[in-house]
Amino acid sequence: MQGMEFVAKAAALLGSGICMGIGALGPGLGEGFVAGKACEGIARSPENANLITRTMLVGQAVSESTGIYSLVIALLLIFST
Amino acid sequence: MKKKKFKFWMLFVIFAIIELPFSLNLDKTLHIGTNPKTGNFSFWTTSHPMTLQQKIEEEFQPDQYLKESGEHGSFYGSEKLYDAFENFFGEGKAVGAFKLIRVLIVVDLVWLFLAFYIRKALLRIPSKRQIAFELVYSFFEDLVVDTLGKERIRFTPYILTIFLFIWTSNMLGLIPIPGLMEPTRNLNVPLGMGIIAVIVVHYFAIKHKGIGNYLKGYAEPLFFLAPLNLIGELSKAVSISFRLFGNILGGAIIILVVSSLVNFIVLPVGLNLFFGLFVGTIQAFVFTMLSLTYIAVEIND
Repeated sequence: MQGMEFVAKAAALLGSGICMGIGALGPGLGEGFVAGKACEGIARSPENANLITRTMLVGQAVSESTGIYSLVIALLLIFST
Repeated sequence: MKKKKFKFWMLFVIFAIIELPFSLNLDKTLHIGTNPKTGNFSFWTTSHPMTLQQKIEEEFQPDQYLKESGEHGSFYGSEKLYDAFENFFGEGKAVGAFKLIRVLIVVDLVWLFLAFYIRKALLRIPSKRQIAFELVYSFFEDLVVDTLGKERIRFTPYILTIFLFIWTSNMLGLIPIPGLMEPTRNLNVPLGMGIIAVIVVHYFAIKHKGIGNYLKGYAEPLFFLAPLNLIGELSKAVSISFRLFGNILGGAIIILVVSSLVNFIVLPVGLNLFFGLFVGTIQAFVFTMLSLTYIAVEIND
């Protein structure tokens, strides 16, 4: 590994770290918010707990997808340069 | 005399003490036979030091790893056979494709076996195994009735098949046999299932609305936004499959990295419980729930 190739590898590793760090912020906030709201909902009406939990899981998975995209991009940066 | 209460964490300590001497010899292979150095008949070891990067490459890019180390003949027995398989599968895919097809066949065989096993036990007065499987079926039947309505109950087999296939695939990663991996770790499997889900959605949308109303749906709210709507439909398949793929692959990489950092002592069990059992079940459920929701958005008015 010489010269420019070395710089490119270093930049890709740094980029993947930044990508994962910033990309994990949004889904973390979003999922925590959804879980908190679901807790409130279950406390208010415990008889709907099943429906609320199911909807919460699907909502969390959808909001998680941006984090997964950043994970895929980070893996591409690490393994394909 | 007071009996000492057994604590749960003591189990982990016992495991750690047992595993410690083995974990220090992980990079060595044990041989039995004549030692080439001394000429005596005995046990002897050879060591293969591997870095973390090599371990990751062996697990996730087996063809590249085997070719770089020059051992690609050893997988199929001879290099000629390897070349033949490479001609068949494509450049640099001979080992990866073979491993993927092998685990897919394992999943199929599991469900073929279980189907015949259950079919034998079907009775008017249900036995224990029949009750267990009817519980799973009725859970998904309730899900379909809740989302799509009572008259579309015949979607249940499709939805249940998706869930059982993905769940069994994700659970394969828990079995510690070399070569057994989750098929969903390869992007081709989730992408194929996402494309199937989107095709089903559009088939039933055309059947329900009629072809004219279906095409009119693309020109909403304004006619020049049609390309955006088209991209939105395509991104359904991409997002649903990348979510499953990313979760399983990320979990597998985290398990491999962390467990090689702690020399495979105790911690991999907990990691497998979270990333294998919990995340695998949740993601299988989310995949089925999302494909159900996509159908519901198109069909329900």
